[in-house]
Amino acid sequence: MLQTVYRWIDERLEISPIIDHALKKRVPDHKHSAWYYWGGICLFFFMVQVVTGILLMIYYRPGPDAYDSVRQITYEIRFGWLIRSVHAWSANLMIGAVFVHMFSVFFMKAYRNPREFGWWSGLALLALCMVFGFSGYLLPMDELAFFATRVGLAIPDALPGMSQLISALLRGGPEVSSATLQRFFALHVVVLPAIFVPLLGFHLWLVQKHGNALPPSEEAKPAAERRSIPFFPNFAMRDMAVWLMALNLLALLVALFPLQLDVAADALKPAPVGIHPEWYFMSQFEALKLLGHVIPGTLGEFVGLGVFGVGMGMWAAIPLFDSRVTTSLRARLTTWFGLLFLAALILLTIIGYIEVL
Amino acid sequence: MNYPVWDVPILGSGLVIALIAIFHVFISHFAVGGGFYLPMTESLALRKGRNDWLAELKKHSKFFLVLTGVFGAVTGVGIWFAIGNANPEATSTLIHFWVFAWGIEWVVFLVELSALAAYFYLWGRVSNPLHIRLGWLYAIAAWLSLFLINGILTFMLTPGQAWLNAAGTGNETFSFWAAFFNPTFWPSLIVRTLICLTQAGVFALVTASRIDGQRQPELKTEMTEWARRWLLPSFLLLPIALFWYLAEVPAAQRALLDLGNSTVGQGLFTLLSRLKLVFLISSAAVVAAVYLFTSKRNAVGFGLGSALGVAAMAYVSIGSMEMLREMLRKPYVVGQHMFSNGVRKSEVARMNRDGYLTNAAWVRPEERARWTSPDHGQNSAVPDLSRGELMFRGQCMACHTLDGYRGMRKLLLGRDHKGIANLIAVLHTYSDDSPYRPFMPPLVGTTAEVEALTDFLAAQVSGTNSVPNKP
Repeated sequence: MLQTVYRWIDERLEISPIIDHALKKRVPDHKHSAWYYWGGICLFFFMVQVVTGILLMIYYRPGPDAYDSVRQITYEIRFGWLIRSVHAWSANLMIGAVFVHMFSVFFMKAYRNPREFGWWSGLALLALCMVFGFSGYLLPMDELAFFATRVGLAIPDALPGMSQLISALLRGGPEVSSATLQRFFALHVVVLPAIFVPLLGFHLWLVQKHGNALPPSEEAKPAAERRSIPFFPNFAMRDMAVWLMALNLLALLVALFPLQLDVAADALKPAPVGIHPEWYFMSQFEALKLLGHVIPGTLGEFVGLGVFGVGMGMWAAIPLFDSRVTTSLRARLTTWFGLLFLAALILLTIIGYIEVL
Repeated sequence: MNYPVWDVPILGSGLVIALIAIFHVFISHFAVGGGFYLPMTESLALRKGRNDWLAELKKHSKFFLVLTGVFGAVTGVGIWFAIGNANPEATSTLIHFWVFAWGIEWVVFLVELSALAAYFYLWGRVSNPLHIRLGWLYAIAAWLSLFLINGILTFMLTPGQAWLNAAGTGNETFSFWAAFFNPTFWPSLIVRTLICLTQAGVFALVTASRIDGQRQPELKTEMTEWARRWLLPSFLLLPIALFWYLAEVPAAQRALLDLGNSTVGQGLFTLLSRLKLVFLISSAAVVAAVYLFTSKRNAVGFGLGSALGVAAMAYVSIGSMEMLREMLRKPYVVGQHMFSNGVRKSEVARMNRDGYLTNAAWVRPEERARWTSPDHGQNSAVPDLSRGELMFRGQCMACHTLDGYRGMRKLLLGRDHKGIANLIAVLHTYSDDSPYRPFMPPLVGTTAEVEALTDFLAAQVSGTNSVPNKP
């Protein structure tokens, strides 16, 4: 019966080559194999985001009723709190997993020829994830969301020429308001997914095309000594088990730390003490603050954003700089650059939290 | 308030008990499950003539001896120390009524430890059948210990009508067996036995994952398969047994499980609904993950990281269930008899009439003299704070702290003196439709005592630490 159904579909859609590819595909098996699961973990959290996001849209009302609708979701609708908390926690976990995935790819040198486009599409996906996070943060329209967004938008606002553009495009006026909320909602549920999903498809296609990269320590081994396992079903089964672990972690966080709702936003009130951006923007926020002590005013922010731009450009250009497989000075320099970047990211985030808490 | 109050800042005494109990529950259940695993695996290895299994098993038994013999015993004493300090009234009740059961339990525990020590130190020094019998002696003694403590713990949730009728009459001991084999005894015993078996499975899985699959693929596959047999059936049966257990719990307490279906408000008690979800998700996840990780195709490559991941999920499942079971007892510490702050249900009316602090052994005479003066000390130069603070320490601190776990300053934030007075009045009146009734004990005491507590809390929230002027 199944065979007949399969043949019927295959005659029309020609899926046999895809199935054959999945059956023949092998995944390297070595002591660093655990890092291969992180891409799948990101994908799992993204799927959770999609499902819970759709469920939230059933009750969420953007505009003047936004706060009230989130209050109903959190405190009145059966299991509404669960969907909202799962959505928020999985967003944070997804961004965390994308960071881990990015650094694991970096240190395993998996950006090298022919995987440059995998690296670039991955970076673009990370950037989109962060914009997802920023746009979603405002949607409850509570006090914390309102002031955090105001602070966030004020940073590029200080740059010459940017203010009007941001006012026109994102804020919908000189101040964060329900017009901003409408724009952020449209960005969050239409514009970003429309860019993200095809880009994700491209990224996954590249992974299938090039396969999993070997870390330098494995590449140095003779081919006969390298081990691998079939992707299907062996690796796929392990991947599923890791997804279950991720689900468990998510369930635990949601149970112990469910998302509450702050008081409704009031533009006339002063900003609460210790207002700060989400953890994934904290290092940039702190770097700008520290730079502001050295170069005060708009110039400081201008220089700061310039430094970010150059830094991100260098990070993206890594595959072009370190493209050779053999161990070289460039390869070592790149590793040190990655370690420096990772240390700065962690350190600035910690300093940021120490200052605001 | 016949005992001094154990003030644990930030954590609170209840959380200290929970932290110690988490370790103790894991270790003690592991001790029982592992107790069955050791002789059964040894028998199987001897039947199959597998010396490589025996070598692994000998290593396991050393780890087992240290973990259960040392950490299990130390955390057990720690629990006694903590509950004795945190809730002396309830501990006193448990000791007085269950003294005979505790006596048997300590004998059984002594047999358990001695048998385990003998089992480990006599590897290869006595005949195989005798060695296996020592293992079984350990397993049976450990399970009997669980059997006895299960009776006492389930009594605390559902003491049964026979005991409740006898409570306070001096004839409680005539209802000993009815209290022991109380309504939740059997389902709880099955749940706990299944947990023990899952613990053994987790232990076996972790140790199997450490075998080098490249050098000993056959041994690794077999040991992993053997570990699966301990884990999968237990985790499949656990939710069923838990539902039976919950069916025996009084409806009022069972209702706590649904408190958080629609909201994350109402303090920490909505946590019960969330724990229920975590338990169901993690139990199912353990079953599926074990199946996926340890299937014949993946058994050889099953690594320590994966095993620890499964172990973490199993502990999340068991931990959430234990926390759920413990919180389900609220607002009582002994069901329908003694509230979680040590006040007996039968004493509420008397304490409301005569006062909570009237016979408190830890009140200074000059304080009591001031309170019993005609103006209740209102015109005293010294603010009447100590009475409010003593009320707080006696009736609130079993579950609350000022600034930490279930911190009152945070919970009452935004309420003025009148708002706090209204809340306290709701707790004091304790009407049937009170939203706090399902999980909080009544606040007992005279009007003056209740007002003193209100003043104390209002001062804490306003940050003045002094009592506001009375109108």
